[in-house]
Amino acid sequence: MQAANDDQAAHEAYILLLLSDANLPTGSFVASAGLESYIKHGFFSASAQPEGASLFDNSSSGSLESDPTSFKDMPNPPRLTSATIRFLQDSVQSYARSALPFVGGVHDIVEKVLSSPEDLDNLQEIMQLDTLYESMTLNHVARRASKAQGVALLTLYTKGFSEPLWIPRSRSPLSKAMTSLIEGLKLKIRKGDTPGHLPICWAVLAAALGLTRERSQHLHSFLHARALLSASVRLNTVGPYAAQQLLLHVVQPMVENAVRVSKDLQIRFGQPEVSREGDLELAADEDDGPANTWPLGEILSSRHDQQHSRIFNS
Amino acid sequence: MHGRGQATLEAFGRDAVFSDLSFTYPLKLISPKIPAANPVAIAYVLSYGGGLISGDQIELNVETRKEATLILLTQGSTKVFPSRTIDRIRASDVFARQQDGVTPPDTTRQSLEAKVASGSNLVLLPDPVTCFAGSIYTQVQTFRLERGASLCVLDWYTSGRMSRGEEWVFERYRSVNEIWIDGKRAARDVMLLEEPNGRSVLPLAPRTLKARMAPYSCYATLFLIGPAVAPVLSYVEQEMRSVTQFQASAPAELVWSFSPLEHGGIVRAAGVETETVKFWLKRILIPLQSTIGAEAFDKILV
Repeated sequence: MQAANDDQAAHEAYILLLLSDANLPTGSFVASAGLESYIKHGFFSASAQPEGASLFDNSSSGSLESDPTSFKDMPNPPRLTSATIRFLQDSVQSYARSALPFVGGVHDIVEKVLSSPEDLDNLQEIMQLDTLYESMTLNHVARRASKAQGVALLTLYTKGFSEPLWIPRSRSPLSKAMTSLIEGLKLKIRKGDTPGHLPICWAVLAAALGLTRERSQHLHSFLHARALLSASVRLNTVGPYAAQQLLLHVVQPMVENAVRVSKDLQIRFGQPEVSREGDLELAADEDDGPANTWPLGEILSSRHDQQHSRIFNS
Repeated sequence: MHGRGQATLEAFGRDAVFSDLSFTYPLKLISPKIPAANPVAIAYVLSYGGGLISGDQIELNVETRKEATLILLTQGSTKVFPSRTIDRIRASDVFARQQDGVTPPDTTRQSLEAKVASGSNLVLLPDPVTCFAGSIYTQVQTFRLERGASLCVLDWYTSGRMSRGEEWVFERYRSVNEIWIDGKRAARDVMLLEEPNGRSVLPLAPRTLKARMAPYSCYATLFLIGPAVAPVLSYVEQEMRSVTQFQASAPAELVWSFSPLEHGGIVRAAGVETETVKFWLKRILIPLQSTIGAEAFDKILV
């Protein structure tokens, strides 16, 4: 049992190495998730920064060994760095709240495929969540970016991660079932039957590669934050070394908190009415589903195409 | 208190007639007569005392048939008073219950279920919701449209009782708008505003709601669906096309966006002042006059 767990952990660690490659062709390098537009609209300017508010938790309970009075002498981070941190906080929190319930829900479905690969309902269930995500993503710029990145991830699996046919004895017997599920989903996207959004396709890819549910959600949130920092470097608001510093010292707790808050949020559909065609109702509203928590980010990222000049697609 | 209401509007030639207009305390529906060339009716959705106290539940069902146009308005902003027990229960306990999927017992809740028949129109242009410090508010609105029906829905809220210096200090605001067209979910917009819960994310201080919403104190979302709002839609699209955003040196007093949907679109706006947002909304809604008539148009967003 212990040996099996070790194997699983080693496999997962290796998959994490592969998926964390910043050069993976997933289209994330053309997305800034609203950051470019946010800056263009003047929200990184000195006048947009809150006065007197500290970014840091200066309460004495915050750090056990340090003397709270010593905070007074600490330097503030440069303005652009503070502004970047604030954007990251709002963006990561809102994206996690909107997308992680879908990542979790789709991951659960793909795990069922592992136990019963012949069940075609699984694809239908994934498409239901995909369609729901589309109806909840009303910002056309975010929709566009999400669909482009989603289908790129599926292509990454079929072209880059599926087991090659020339491997004589299959090491992963499920690779075939996964490849057929993903090919099926790609076909549905190409025919326009389902939009193929990023969190949906991410969950399919991550589950197909054997990442656990929570690891899939965590890595998805981390990659969202890292893509924002890569965009910051290209927009010249953060230097490349500072971006690494932020990733290690600031983004880690931020991502962990966002995942903790949103990982168990549920999407529950009601029972389908036999007589009725169309989309499924959600089960009685229970306050704990996916939600947008940052209306300002929604407005500014929707205005992306209004920028006079831009280097990103979102 | 649990108030219920039903409003069913039909058209007979040029006349709009309520075949049902009923309500129970503390909800009140008042329909003033307006001269109109088309079958248009206004109903004011009122609550006694002009506000909702904690635990109040309002459930409203509306239906429009044939060629009828129903305009739902309010008189003054919907004030949501603070939760009675929030002072006694520590906030963390409230959040713990929320995470179990249980709505806090003191939630003030308004729900609207609307059926809009083909060729008929529903126009919902209330005053903004104002959540006072300590209040917990949930609003769930579901619109079921037949193909060819039209919808104009404004959902907006302010930062609180500004006269007392309140800025984004309510406990929780949650608003759900779901639009179905011909059995398909065209839009489900869920906005959730609350202080970040849980542990502090060291080394960072928790990002407060106020900081997330700054510098604006009023946010609005306007859903536009169907043939009757086509003139508004093309006006908004034209306005958006004329925007060219250069590098700004500071955030604007008012910022807005438009995203097209299959049968219409969604407008969002944020402003430093509620009045700025209201004035701007009324301006982009001017083409609605051709649908609802000048008399009714004078009564919206006043």
